[in-house]
Amino acid sequence: MPLSNHNGELLYNQSGPAGASAPAAQSPSIAVLRDVHYAVDSGKQVFTGLDLEIRRGAVTAIMGPSGTGKTTLLKLITGQVLADRGQVLVDGLDVAKLRRKELYALRRRMGMLFQNGALLTDLDVFENVAFPLREHTRLPERLIRTIVLTKLHAVGLRGAAALSPQQLSGGMSRRVALARAIAMDPDILIYDEPFAGLDPISMGMVLRLIRSLNDALGITSIVVTHDVREISQISDSSFIISEGKVVASGTTAELRDHPSPIVHQFVEGLADGPVSFHYPAPEYHEQLLGGHSFA
Amino acid sequence: MTILRELLQSFLTFLERVGLLARFALQLLVITPAGLLRVRPIIEQVYNTGALSLVIIMTCGLFVGMVLGLQGYDLLTRFGSEEYLGTATAISLLRELGPVVTALLFAGRAGTALAAELGLMRATDQIAAMEIMAVDPMRRVVLPRFLGGVIAMPLLVSIFVVVGLFGAQLVGVEFFGVDSGSFWSQMRSSVELSDVREGLIKGVVFGIACSLIAVYEGYNALPTAEGVGRATTRTVVISAVVTLILDYILTALML
Repeated sequence: MPLSNHNGELLYNQSGPAGASAPAAQSPSIAVLRDVHYAVDSGKQVFTGLDLEIRRGAVTAIMGPSGTGKTTLLKLITGQVLADRGQVLVDGLDVAKLRRKELYALRRRMGMLFQNGALLTDLDVFENVAFPLREHTRLPERLIRTIVLTKLHAVGLRGAAALSPQQLSGGMSRRVALARAIAMDPDILIYDEPFAGLDPISMGMVLRLIRSLNDALGITSIVVTHDVREISQISDSSFIISEGKVVASGTTAELRDHPSPIVHQFVEGLADGPVSFHYPAPEYHEQLLGGHSFA
Repeated sequence: MTILRELLQSFLTFLERVGLLARFALQLLVITPAGLLRVRPIIEQVYNTGALSLVIIMTCGLFVGMVLGLQGYDLLTRFGSEEYLGTATAISLLRELGPVVTALLFAGRAGTALAAELGLMRATDQIAAMEIMAVDPMRRVVLPRFLGGVIAMPLLVSIFVVVGLFGAQLVGVEFFGVDSGSFWSQMRSSVELSDVREGLIKGVVFGIACSLIAVYEGYNALPTAEGVGRATTRTVVISAVVTLILDYILTALML
């Protein structure tokens, strides 16, 4: 198995993101979004001409304030939703033009880690990891067992194979979901808020796993997060999305020096700036004294 | 004008929902032949919807049969024909009460469980996770639950009728002293195969309707606590209304 050494431990690139980004710099883009427009059912415009390219083999962070459509971006890449205008290309394939079978074939090459793990609650840990193998392959039971145990070992949870999802902590659930996401050896691994609600130890483990898996498996990782400090330790490049567009992109250092006030506010985590603390509302004293409705 | 517009809007919404349900049913129909080959998940769902409903079905069947025994005995003694108690209860149970009451209980127990389970799977991203893993949730999750319900319902109807007859016999024969020979022989000579067939056909049709409504409402539930709650409530209400409407139509057709 490519992701572990003879002890079954993950191979971790000690040189860090800089070392990992060198070969990725020459690689072509694996996902390209061109002039993407997308509005939700309520009519709210999420993207208004989004342009973004994700390099093959790199760890790419997608960041931005809450509600800017980071998760929607992942849904566009995985074909869960389709853009109203513009193009979403994944490995050269236009997601909007794919038939269901072709889309499913593309998705077999993707793995996704959901924010809450999204483990199937009627299956135990072992069966959750075995699920995609059983659905898509006709491998003998012995081989499935070997693969599942290897993947669980890679995330440090081989000993939890018999547990049910209800018995797992948040961090463990996410690691099991990660083992499931890599069960089919995908080309692209997508992480939706992988650090949300994790304690520092679990966060460190997940952080280390994202980089290690990316390098050991030679895959592309797309991480949606707003944990700037954490992701900057492992990402090769980052995009910051705000008001429906990419407002900044580059390495962590480049983002820190970016002139945009919104990027500065986001990277430094400032309360004051272009992103207002208050949701748009009438004047405070007018609403208190004037009997404004809340609608 | 406003009332008319609202009525028209409600009617259009109703038509839209019926259309969506019909499309959902058609999707299920298309994947059913392939889905039938995966026997194990269907058996699991027959257990979940059928076997786990047995206690409530048998308890209710017993008491419905006992009430029929009481009411039937009271009525038939006025005409001096209490030996027909077996026939009266058997036909009532086979043709009407068995399938209808079982369907209503099924909607309340198994239907809500199905809707809540699917709704929670939606709310916790399990459905989305399957789609990302290139696994069709309609085939993997919805179809076995639907087929499990369809298979379980006629079995539950049969059990309900048998237990109901036992209840009627308990009251009529054991309590009121109706002759046991008359009770059973009159029943056997009067009840025809068409009565049994009517009950089983109703059981299958109600099974399709109640299971379809439950999986549709659960699968399309809003991914929130309120959405799941609303889906379970709608499952019970719509299933009950549809069962009674279908019962009238089927009875009219089969009489």
